[in-house]
This record gives sequence, structure tokens and C-alpha cells, in this order.
Amino acid sequence: MRAEDLSELAGRAEAEIAAAPDEAALDALRVRYAGRREGEITKAMKRLPALPAGERPAFGAAANAARERIEAALERRTAALRDAALQRDLAAAAVDLTLPPRRVRIGRYHPITRTIREISRIFAGMGFEAVEGPEVEWDYYAFEALNIPADHPARDKFSTLWVQAEGSMEVALAATGAGRARAATGQPDRILLRPHTSPMQIRVMEQRRPPVRVIVPGRCFRFEATDPTHESVFFQYEGLAIDEQLTMADLKGVLYSFARQLFGGERKVRFRPDYFPFTEPSAEIAFDCFACDGTGVTNEGKCRTCAGSAWIEAAGCGMVHPDALRRVGYDPSKYQGFAFGGGVERLAMLLTGTVDIRLFHQNDLRYLESV
Amino acid sequence: MPISWLREYVETAVPPDEVAERLHMAGTEVDHIERTGAWGDKVHVGRIEALEKHPNADKLQLATVGYGDGRRKTVVTGAFNISVGDVVPYAETGAEIVDGHTGERTVLRPRPMRGIVSEGMVLSAKELGLGDDHEGILLLDKALRVGAPLRDVLGETIVQFEIAPNRPDALSVLGIAREASAILAAPLRQPALEPLTYRLDPALLSVRIEDPDACPRFAAAYLTDVAIGESPAWMQQRLRAAGMRPIDAVVDITNYVMLELGQPLHAYDAERLRGRALVARLARHNETLRTLDGVDRILRPSDLLIADEERPLGLAGIMGGEDSEIRATTTTVALECASFEPRRVRRTTEAHALHGSSGSAAARRFGLDLSPDLVPIALARAVHLLREHTGARVVGATDVYPRPRQVPNVRLRFSDIGRVLGADVGREEAVDALRRLGFAHAELGDQLVVTPPAIRTDIAIPEDIVEEVARIVGYDRIPVRVPTGVLPLHERHPLEQLRERARDALVGFGLQETISYALIDPAWLERLTPDGSPIAPEPLPLANPTSAAQSILRPTLRASLLDTASRNVKHRRGVAIFEIDPVYLARRGDLPEERWTIGILVAGQAEPVRENETWLTAERDWDWHDILGLARGLADALGLGQFDDQTRRPAAGLHPARSYGIEHRGRVAFTIGQLDPRVAAMWELPQTTYLAEIDLASLLDVQRPPQAVTPPRFPAAWRDLAFVVDEAVAWAGVMHEIEAAGQKAGLEQVALRDVYRGPQAGEGKKSFAVRLTFRSATGTLSDADVDKAIARIEGRLRHRFGAAVRAP
Repeated sequence: MRAEDLSELAGRAEAEIAAAPDEAALDALRVRYAGRREGEITKAMKRLPALPAGERPAFGAAANAARERIEAALERRTAALRDAALQRDLAAAAVDLTLPPRRVRIGRYHPITRTIREISRIFAGMGFEAVEGPEVEWDYYAFEALNIPADHPARDKFSTLWVQAEGSMEVALAATGAGRARAATGQPDRILLRPHTSPMQIRVMEQRRPPVRVIVPGRCFRFEATDPTHESVFFQYEGLAIDEQLTMADLKGVLYSFARQLFGGERKVRFRPDYFPFTEPSAEIAFDCFACDGTGVTNEGKCRTCAGSAWIEAAGCGMVHPDALRRVGYDPSKYQGFAFGGGVERLAMLLTGTVDIRLFHQNDLRYLESV
Repeated sequence: MPISWLREYVETAVPPDEVAERLHMAGTEVDHIERTGAWGDKVHVGRIEALEKHPNADKLQLATVGYGDGRRKTVVTGAFNISVGDVVPYAETGAEIVDGHTGERTVLRPRPMRGIVSEGMVLSAKELGLGDDHEGILLLDKALRVGAPLRDVLGETIVQFEIAPNRPDALSVLGIAREASAILAAPLRQPALEPLTYRLDPALLSVRIEDPDACPRFAAAYLTDVAIGESPAWMQQRLRAAGMRPIDAVVDITNYVMLELGQPLHAYDAERLRGRALVARLARHNETLRTLDGVDRILRPSDLLIADEERPLGLAGIMGGEDSEIRATTTTVALECASFEPRRVRRTTEAHALHGSSGSAAARRFGLDLSPDLVPIALARAVHLLREHTGARVVGATDVYPRPRQVPNVRLRFSDIGRVLGADVGREEAVDALRRLGFAHAELGDQLVVTPPAIRTDIAIPEDIVEEVARIVGYDRIPVRVPTGVLPLHERHPLEQLRERARDALVGFGLQETISYALIDPAWLERLTPDGSPIAPEPLPLANPTSAAQSILRPTLRASLLDTASRNVKHRRGVAIFEIDPVYLARRGDLPEERWTIGILVAGQAEPVRENETWLTAERDWDWHDILGLARGLADALGLGQFDDQTRRPAAGLHPARSYGIEHRGRVAFTIGQLDPRVAAMWELPQTTYLAEIDLASLLDVQRPPQAVTPPRFPAAWRDLAFVVDEAVAWAGVMHEIEAAGQKAGLEQVALRDVYRGPQAGEGKKSFAVRLTFRSATGTLSDADVDKAIARIEGRLRHRFGAAVRAP
């Protein structure tokens, strides 16, 4: 055997190794060519001493080269076979990617909760602290302290639900300021379900000194026949800000900012004179409709969100009446401020496309899961 | 209010819709706008030229109607209120009208009536869509041009205003005209008044006020030679447009003046006044009155009456009595025009339930603070109309006004306008606005002294003046500004915070939040236990509930949760819901306690999450371990410890062997369990209905601040252990025993791996298999250390529970 034969041997081995169909065949080839004892290379090397001294270096070098070629071929083939096996395993693990998933249970907030949180969040950003107050209330806080004494015509608007009980505010420890003055009379007062969140204007002012900025979300009640736009139990949000120089322009600004954050876009805001006994001047605020961008029409005709009016009336508001300030011991020559109140459901309906207000209390899960 | 009527007092070229819009934007709220007179070309002003009997029917007649340019048709009509020369609406065949019987729109077709075909029709108000009156043909003003299209003479824009209760002055056509004149800067025309001489022979009529607080002003006119007949057609038309039914000229004129000026009046047959007197006095004990609606009423001593010297004639300002009513034979009229204290009027109206009655238009106005200054104006106006339209002769008038009301002078600074509005309104502009509104003013440097017109009883303080100026210059002038200034310090609200975290946690667990009515049906509370005994304190009832279904404040959330679940399981197999809301608990003499409560309910199928989709998840119902897991998960999420008293008490209305309640500070703070199957049946709920109820305020006491854990440095060691105990031994005791025994050796966790019952455990026995995790904070534990700990634990279990330790 000569050095050239070794090269030929390596060439043959490479071809066979590359064609080895599996690990077992490869192992056999490894033993046959590269085996330490009986491998072809080893056998060739054993012949080395028998060669003439002059040929030995060349033959030795050729044998080493042949061994390296064979070992490299074995490595290549091993990697290729492993890779092929991996590819087969991966392919075998294929699933139908379109099958339904293992479902997770999704909890959802009631839309009223979401809307109240959104309202509170927006006003918190403007420095308004969210506070809450009693749903069952004294006549005093619901009406009297808000310039609506007994037999006042403005009471007609409120269609109040009354509790079959009366009590004396003397026992109401929370009552301070004007409430305490009322309590001190020892006279019984009637108990009602608050028809608006405005009693909290008085309660908050009794307990705090200016500057005041609060937002009060809460449940209210009215004696009302229910229909798609009327509910006997509903939610309102009430805002109150008192400081030394707050004006109606600030009121407009706060509600404008609210509308932009809630509905998005460049909203327009409109004030219209209105009447509430506990604010003067009073206004009703409307935003241009976000659904039709204040045009009153959409592609489908008359805008359903604003009923074609281009405006969404959102809240009653005004400057807190000096009588109310005086009643809680604020000096109206020093302090002034504004209050506003609106319906939570109204906003929730606009934001979710809910068309029947009764859905909020019916708790049909098919509805709740959709909003 | 028809816009054409408004235009009588305000001269303006502004189109009706814009007038309405500008009034609306200046505070006179427009509720809606209606249009009448959408009649086509085939309805005309016609004139009755001849009338003759129908040859075949007594109840019909034939009318020949001319409608201009020599056009003339003969119609059959059943109405007998027409005579030759009357001007009436005439519809040609093919005209669109309203069917007088069905009220539906229809096209007029030729139809023979008793053998004669009517060539068109003469129409009633109803057939024109102008009201409900179908008694006779609508008689039109004879001055109208015959042949004119009816829509040109009767077509009308009618605006329904919503007047705020502080503006009784605007509850009239002239009141709104006054507003329009100020807003449009258009001149105001006053209606014609009769110059009255306030002199009247008491032998003919005297007027007396017994209680000037209840009746501050009482004026009257005495008229003779009154010819009772129909009021003029234009007047009837306006009354109808306002929803009032024409009656006779005298009553119509009092109503017309009320609509026109806002001041109600009342006319009496003067011959029937005993003692020839009108007296405003309070009712006497047990006095009775039959009011115009035919109801005999027992009067209350606080009811103000108009009486003669002998008997009550009517409830002052609300409703007259039958006895003194104007009749067809009346010729002498005593006309009352007075002013009444509004609160008393409101109380009487309410006490006698006269809200929706025919007198309510007057009572509504008198229930507001109507100015006494309207009294002489309205009287003069009514007398003028009576003289013109009934031929009445005015004998005299009287006006009793013992304590004339002072009109306030309101002082303010010009700078107050900017101070309140934050808008820049010039001095001249402000003064001009006040002038347009008819407010008198004087300027003293920066000071402004404003005197509103007497009729504006709502004006009292500087802010009122600011609002008036703002209304006229327009609220649009108020700029949008973000408030500056010192922000107040805010407070912490632990209960609200905890509540919102609870909401987040429960939503995170996959439950749906619900909000149900705070008012419920008391019958629900009887369906919460098998025997109907209550689970909550006596609820607070409402005095005036809208219905029995919403007549009490709920003292528990449970009924609402069961109702919600019950309605939903009708269309799905499982529900998982929660509600966080107050329950209302009565307190003697005080407002009720509003106790915030968390209610959780799971019922029916728990898995698969999507109904019927079982390819990955087998169907299974909610069970006890689920509800316990939800409660425990909530406690973990909120960082809650345990209540001091862990005694488990029976829970009413829940499964006796699968529920308990825990008390804290003397009240049940936590209730959990399976709904009693008998209760579940009553609500048509699955047997697998589980509930938890948690008193939110109690949780504040066991809320712990988070304790940060530094991840341990040394590895843990595990051991498995299994042991057999009696069936009666509860897991918690076993676990506590293991924890106590292993504590010193660094026992970190006891995990229950299995509970086995069967032959290998033995009859009446069960086997617990646990895995114990040990870890030291100071080094790696050796096997020997752990073996020692296990031996101690086994010993304690044997000693305490007689446990037989099995090979793991």
C-alpha cells in the first residue's frame, strides 16, 4: 500500500459515511475505518515499520490526513443524522393551530363601576378628591341646606322616596357646622333616599375649610316609573370646588377637560342658563357629540347618540349659592366656587352604546359580558 | 305657545326656530317644537253659504260651502253648530285629514251618506289635528279671507317651554315675549288694558282679606250686562293650542288672560254671592265644599278659601265651587284677581290631590312666587276683553293690598360680574343688558344699584344680577380656563381603598361584577331560609314605594344575588358573580347604617369556562372547595390575617353541614357555604349554589401591611409523610400540630398531598399524605436534622391523634 492508496481509502470512506442511513450504520463505518484496533487506518499504520525508511514520513502523513478526513466525515454525518431526527420529532409534534384554546375565566367590572372609576380618575388628575356619603339622608342635607325648604316648588323636580321613619339629627355625630345647628334644635327630621348627590356639597363643606375640591360618585333614588331612559335607582357624580377666586370660567374649564379626557378629541363645550336653587348663576353643560363630531348626522343618517341635536347634555352646574356658603360658615365675601352634578348611567350609555338604562340593574350576564 | 301669539308683543323678523333657539340658549328652556298646519293645497278657508236639511236623515244636513273665486261645493255634515255666514275649514276630496273617530291620518274619499255624496268635508278641530275637539265644526275668524289655503292662516309653530319654578313671570306669553324682547333687542308691545277706577259700592260687591299672609292682595271688578256666549274664534284657537277647552266667553277670557299674562282669575255669578261679598279666609272646622269637579271635600283649617258671607265658594287659587259657577243665564259677574301665598297653595293642592285637575293650571302658577303686581294688570286686561267680547259694562273695581311688597334694590360692583363669571363684560354692555330686561339701575362709581321689575320675584342678590347679565350677553362669553390656586390636602379612605382592591381581586379571579337594586321586595327575605325565618335584621320600609317589588332597603345582599343568579341560570348552566354594595340597617332615631358588604355567588357549572366546550376540560359543577378558595384568595390578595375568634357558627339559610359564619366585634363578619338545598329549590337554582358574604369594615381590623420576604439563600429539604387518623379528626388540627412540632426545625410548608379512605386505611379511618418542606436561614440542613424533626412530628401525631404512621 502506498500513500496514494490511503487517499483513495479516505475518499471511499467519505462516500460511504455520507450515505450512512442511520446511527447504527454510521457506527459500523466508524469501526471499520476509524476503529482504534481494526480500523483501516490503524491497519495501514501497522504496516509503517515494514516500509522503506524513505517512504515512511510521507506514508505517515498520508495516513494522518486520511484519518482526519474520515473523522470529519463521521462528525458531519452524525450532526446531519441528529438534525434530521430532531426535524422529524418537531414535525411529529405538530398540532392543529386552529383548535380552540384552554379558556381563561375573565372577570369583568360592572359598567357603572368602570364609569365611576373613570370619572374619579379624571377629576383626581385635576386635584379633586373622591369622597362618598350616605345614600339614606336627612331632609336637611338633601333639601333644606340647599335652599329648598319644605313646600319649595323645586322639590317637585325631585320626586323623592321617603323612608318610613324619622329621626333627630342630634344623634348624628358626623353633623358639624350647619348640620349641628340644625341638630341642636332637637327637632325630628325626615329621612329620605337622596334624590341627588348634592347633599354631599353641604356635608363636605361642613367638615372642611377651603380650598375644597371633591368629586362624589354615588347611588341616588327617585320615585320614577322606569323606562329605557328612566330609572328609580341610579348613580350621579357631584363635583365641588371652593377657593378664593374660582369662577364660572374655571367651571367650564374643568368640565371641558373632563369631556376631552372621557370622550377624546377636540370637544366643544356649551353652557346654557339653567336653574338650581343652590347655585347662582346656574348652567347646564353640553358637549358637542363625539359620535357625529357635533354635526348631528352620521353616515347612517340622524346621529343616534345625540338624537340629531349635535349636543350631549351632560351635567347641571353653577356657582355655589352664597346662602349655602353662609350656612356652612364660609364667608361668601372671601370664598366662592362651583358645583356640578351629572348622571353616571348617561355617560356609561354613551361610552358603551347601551340603549336601555334598565340593563344596568338587570344584571343579565349576556349584557354585562358584552360591555 | 304659538309663535304667532308671541309676535303680537315682540316685533321681530327673526324666524320662529331661531327665536326658540335663542330663548333656549338664554335660559327659557324649549322642551320641543311642534308644527301644525301641514295641510296640503286641498284644505281651504270656506264660508257656509246655505244650509238645508238632508232629505233622508234628520241627523245630517247639507251645507253649501264657498271657497273663493266662485268655487262652491255641497257637503253632508252631522254637525249643527254652524250657521250661514260662518267661516269654517273646508277640505276637498283627496285632502289629507285626521279621522275624527280613529284619530288616524286618512285621505278624504267621496262617500255617499244616506244617498247623497258629500263633495268634501267641513272639519272639526280634531280632523285638522288641532286637538281632541270633535263636537262640532271648528269656527274660524270671520275676518279670514275665504278661499285662502288654511295652512297660511292657521299653520303655526308651537313651542313647548319648560319654565323653571323661580320664573312664574315667564309662565305666560307676555312673560316669554319680555324675554324675547330682551334677547333680540326688539321692542315689546303691551296688550290693551281697560283703565279701571278703583271705586265700588259695597252694596254691590265687597272684598275682604281675613289673613293677609295667606292672601296678600285681592282685587275684583263688578260687571253687569254680560252676554254669555262663545268667545271669539281666534281666542278659542289659542286656548286649544295651549291644551285648554273653550267653555264660554267669560271663562275663556279668564283663561286667556292667564295664558297671556300669567295671572289666573276667577269669575263668579255675582247674583249668587250671599252678602255680596268675596272673602279670603281660612277654612273653618269641618267645613265642606263641592268643587267644580263634583267632589265633596272636607276642608282643612289651613286651606285658604274664597267665600261669601255664608259659605265657601272655592279653594283659593286652585278650584272653584259648583254653586257660584258662571252659567248660561249669568249676566252679572264678579271677577276675582288675587295673590296667594304659594306654599299654602301647594300644600292644599297636595292635600286634596288636585295636581292633575282642571284647576291645576291656576294652582301651578299660584304655587310659585307670582308677583302681586300682576293683579291690577290682569284685572284691567280681563275687563277690557269682557267689555269687548261680551258687551259687559264695568260698574267698578276694588283692590285690597294691605302690605304692599317692596321690590328689592340689589347692590353690586361692576367687578362682581367678572369675579363670578371670569368673563370680561364691559360696563356699558352690562348696563345695556339690564336695560333690555327692564331692570332699573343707578351707577355710583363702581357700584351698581339695580331694581328689577316687580314681576321678577326671583331677583334678590348680586349673583342674580350677574346671571341676568350673563344670560343676555350670552353664556358663550364665559371663557374656558383651567383653575389654578392651592390644591387642597387629600385624605386617605381605607374602606374605599380596600373595597376597590377587593373588586380588583374578584374580577381577577374571573368573577363578573353585578350591581342590583338597593330596593327590594320584602317577600324575598322570606325565601332565604327553609322556614322563612329572617337572616338579617328588620329592613327599613319606604313610605311611598313605587311598587311592592321595590319597597324596602335591602338588609342583605343575599336575596339580590340569588335573584340575579336565578334569572341567569335560565339561559346558562353556570354563574360566577359578586357584588360589593351597602346593606341598610336601621338605627333608632338616626340614619340607618350603610354597611358595605361583599357578596360572592357561584352556582351550577364551573367548567368548562365556555359552556359545552369540553374537548380540553371535563364538565364539573362548582363545589365547596371553590367558594372557599375564592374567599381565601381574596384574603390573600388583600393581605388579611385571621379574625381573633375563629369559632365557626351555623349560618342561617345555608347547608347545615357545609357552611359556617365567623363573628367579629359582635357581628357576623364572614359567612360561607353551600346554599340550603331547600332554599335553592325556592329560587329555582342548582343545588350546587355556593355563597360567601363578607363585612368589608371588619376586614379593616385584620388587614396587615405587606411583609417583604427576602428570597432564602439556603436550599430546602423535603420529606413525605403519611399517617392514618380517625375520620372525625379535622385537617386544621393536624396541620397545626405538625407546624408546632416542626417549627424549631425550620418547617417551612405543610402541603396536603392526598386524603385516602379505603381498605388500607381501615373502617372509620382516613389517611393524610403530606409533603413537608424544611429550610434553615443559617445553613444547609443535614439529613440528620430533618430526620430528627420528622421523628418529633410523628411522635406528636401519635400522641395527639393516635395516628398510625405509614410508610410513604
